[in-house]
Amino acid sequence: MPATADYQGSAAAAFGRSLLSLRREQVHAMGETHEPSSLDLELEAFQKQVSDRFTDLSVVGLQELLSLPWIRKLLDAFLCCQEEFRLIILNNRSLVYRQPLDRMVHDFFERSVKALDVCNAIRDGIEQIREWMKLLDIVLCALDNQRFLGEGQFRRAKKALVDLSISMLDERESTTGMAHRNRSFGRQNPSSRDQHQRSLGHFRSFSWSVSRSWSAAKQLQAIGNNLVAPRASDIVASNGIAAAVYTMSSILLFVMWALVAAIPCQDRGLHVHFSIPRNFPWAAPILSLHDKILEESRKRDRRNASGLLREIHLMDKSTRLMGELTDTTHFPLTEEKEREVRQSAQELRLICEGIKEGLDPLERQVREAFHRIVHSRTEGLVSLGRANHND
Amino acid sequence: MAENGEERLIAMARHIAQKLGHNESMADDILQIFSNFDGRFTRENLNLPDKFGPDDPRALAALDHTLKSLERQISQYVGAGHPIWSDSADSSAFLDAVDDLIAVVRQCSSMSAVAAKNIGACAEELLQQAMFRLEEEFGVLMVRGCESTDNLSFDSEDDEEESGGNGDNGEITVAQPLTDYNVIIDALPSGVISDLHEMVKRMVDAGFVKECSHVYSSCRRDFLEESISRLGLQKLSNEEVQRMAWPDLEDEIVKWIKASNVALRILFPSERRLCDRVFMGFYTAADLSFMEVTRGSTVQILNFADAVAIGSRSPERLFKVMDLFETLRDLMPEFESNFCDQYCLVLRNEAIAIWKRLGEAIRGIFMELENLIRRDPAKSPVPGGGVHPITRYVMNYLRAACRSRETLEQVFEESSNVVPAKDCSSSALCVRMEWIMQLLETNLELKSKVYGDPSLCCVFMMNNCKYIVQKVKDSELGLLLGDDWIRKHSGKIKNFMSSYQRITWNKVLGVLRIDISNGPPHLNNVGNSTPMKERMHMFNMSLEEIHRTQSEWTIFDEQLKKEVKMSLSKLLLPLYVNFLSKFQNSPEVRKNANKYIKYSLEDVDVRINELFQGGSGSSSGGGK
Repeated sequence: MPATADYQGSAAAAFGRSLLSLRREQVHAMGETHEPSSLDLELEAFQKQVSDRFTDLSVVGLQELLSLPWIRKLLDAFLCCQEEFRLIILNNRSLVYRQPLDRMVHDFFERSVKALDVCNAIRDGIEQIREWMKLLDIVLCALDNQRFLGEGQFRRAKKALVDLSISMLDERESTTGMAHRNRSFGRQNPSSRDQHQRSLGHFRSFSWSVSRSWSAAKQLQAIGNNLVAPRASDIVASNGIAAAVYTMSSILLFVMWALVAAIPCQDRGLHVHFSIPRNFPWAAPILSLHDKILEESRKRDRRNASGLLREIHLMDKSTRLMGELTDTTHFPLTEEKEREVRQSAQELRLICEGIKEGLDPLERQVREAFHRIVHSRTEGLVSLGRANHND
Repeated sequence: MAENGEERLIAMARHIAQKLGHNESMADDILQIFSNFDGRFTRENLNLPDKFGPDDPRALAALDHTLKSLERQISQYVGAGHPIWSDSADSSAFLDAVDDLIAVVRQCSSMSAVAAKNIGACAEELLQQAMFRLEEEFGVLMVRGCESTDNLSFDSEDDEEESGGNGDNGEITVAQPLTDYNVIIDALPSGVISDLHEMVKRMVDAGFVKECSHVYSSCRRDFLEESISRLGLQKLSNEEVQRMAWPDLEDEIVKWIKASNVALRILFPSERRLCDRVFMGFYTAADLSFMEVTRGSTVQILNFADAVAIGSRSPERLFKVMDLFETLRDLMPEFESNFCDQYCLVLRNEAIAIWKRLGEAIRGIFMELENLIRRDPAKSPVPGGGVHPITRYVMNYLRAACRSRETLEQVFEESSNVVPAKDCSSSALCVRMEWIMQLLETNLELKSKVYGDPSLCCVFMMNNCKYIVQKVKDSELGLLLGDDWIRKHSGKIKNFMSSYQRITWNKVLGVLRIDISNGPPHLNNVGNSTPMKERMHMFNMSLEEIHRTQSEWTIFDEQLKKEVKMSLSKLLLPLYVNFLSKFQNSPEVRKNANKYIKYSLEDVDVRINELFQGGSGSSSGGGK
């Protein structure tokens, strides 16, 4: 596995170099200086950074792919690339202002605004996972303690598990965009059905901060809309920056897509077309990651998942097992049964602890991504001196 | 055998201790005596519970008996088809039973005998059932409580339900449009609150605080979201905000301001109070529940402000964005007080970050304004050299902006490192305003070049300068830019005025000026040698020409117009009088003088008075 990746990496890097040198050759042909300019070096470093980071991300076992640590690494990569890209734009304001780059940079900023909504949705999703954790806490409180396990504890755990599965089902409904639950806020309508449901203790456990019609799938499509590799002439005309803009746009799209794949959010849909010319050094790792994630989403046990996050999968499996264990039990417990229950409770505890530890830093990173996008866009628009002229 | 004997000895000692120890201190004394007497009679060895020995069959029998009777009572409630809390006798009996049950569970878990474990399991099972029911009752009571205050509404001008809420002390007062935010509502009747608190105590005791908190927050969150949505606040994504037409967004901002004030000043503190009362004594649970209740609404409120902050920086947005900024700024103490605990820290920091971002947006809008001024093309000249629309726009804009001078000072102080202050006495805002005025002047100078006629150029500049100074003088802008600035610019108007006189009139004056002393000729004068008749002709022609063109020109300010004309009259008429007398006496013309004199003194004055009647200037009354 690592061997293949290495091969891919180096081959792609060779292609990429040829792409970057395209401009230099043109310059050579015109008989200008043979030394690469500092911009050339900057751009090359950027491409290398992107390709290194994503190659590193793509060398991943299935156990790690889409795990919390991996997602955090992905966001790290995004933040670093974004920062480097920001500096390129900032340092080359004079070029950015000119045709055809101005349009491209403007498009990039438009895409990045769209990504902000994904960041917000992901933040909601993280909160959603936290809600699940609270229900699992109850399960653990009942089953993973030093006291004896009686029918009472089992019922308590069972109830929390049922609440959890309702919450996940609710969430799945919204993630697949089906059946918008009928909850109107009209004053005339504290509908009796609703009231009844509530009195049974089934409150809607979570609310999204965007309207019900918002769709992550559509948002991703909007980010990827008209995203095509720049023509060679544009690359030359922009001193190579056009390639960097395309690179950053693709990374933005990919990272947002991967987040939506992993974390619960409204109307998740992964039908985004990635067509990246193979001559970009980072194309191979990103496309391979894309394939792997897509493959993961098609697995039978993941097809209806509310998020492909590894830990959600583990949690799902563990709670399902827990559900079965608590279903088929006669009291008093046999020793073997008790051992079994305690053991799976302990496993569930480990999973929950892992999730809880990972969520806070993940949320901070998502917020950070949000702030950085805003910051670099503001900065870019100011330096373009044409903040939303078309408004 | 020996062992057996020892056991019996210890059992005997235990028995004695239990028999004699009617109360704890007595038992303690006896134990003390025993353990002093023999090391085997330690407390551990004797292992005494409050009343009976742990494995005392009688103790177990008593526990079993208690449990049986509790089971009868509790299962009767657990199976009840109607809410237990609909009858206060029922509810307090139920709570008492739960208390006893919790005591039994505790007692069992402190005992080691197998029989005790079995009783404990039964007790726990029963406790579980009781807790499920309690959780359900808790939920029902919460929802009921909400319903009773459901028709409570804030600021509903369109709402005719004046009375409604059948809860306790006067929530109805809130139904009027809000001017005073200094109200805290009792979201639930206080009877309900104390019932809830009693339930919470039991659920905490039984280790069910998580369930309790879950039900509580879900219910209150729903209630809060409904309240917020009744205030007209929609859930909008970033993109929706960006796409929204400005007038619609303005409406949303107005609604947002109202809603966030109500939320932060009334709803959240009320939730806080409710939380603290329901979870009285359980601070972690209270804080955690409060965060869960308010988080969604707070994020919704903040996301909107954030979306506006990163939106378009077109100058027309300044005032509404400033409203947002001010609202958030004024709500900062509320954010601090509502979200003072550790769980809410994130929300508080978020609010601060977004507030700062709104400040950034305001600075961005000013930058955009500057770009607009700088780039405003000089294409079509304003007819007659009147006030240019950009002057009107910028000045009125700045005047309006400076009505919120303090806010702007604050906003620009934040980034004062960006614009280096010339001297420490002038604020960042002051520097900024001077800079914008300078940009405007530079742009106007550029525009003045469009006029082919240098005189008209001066009139244009004079008009615009006058307009600027006028607008500065009687506003906050004047205080900001200072007297020196005003003096300097009033001076500029004078300069443009004298330039105008020089360019237009010097030649005319030169024609009229005849050096009596026959000294060296005046620089701009027509040579003294020019014949009088020709001079008269030249004067007549010039006056006619000037009158023809310049009566179409504009001086928008009546006072200034009067000044200009007066100074012209003062300059021209004495010379003309002088010239006329010379002319009449000159040997060239003498008898035919009247033939050449086309304009009397009065005629000239009338001509001067008819200047600057043109333009769309509304102030120039009826000269056409």
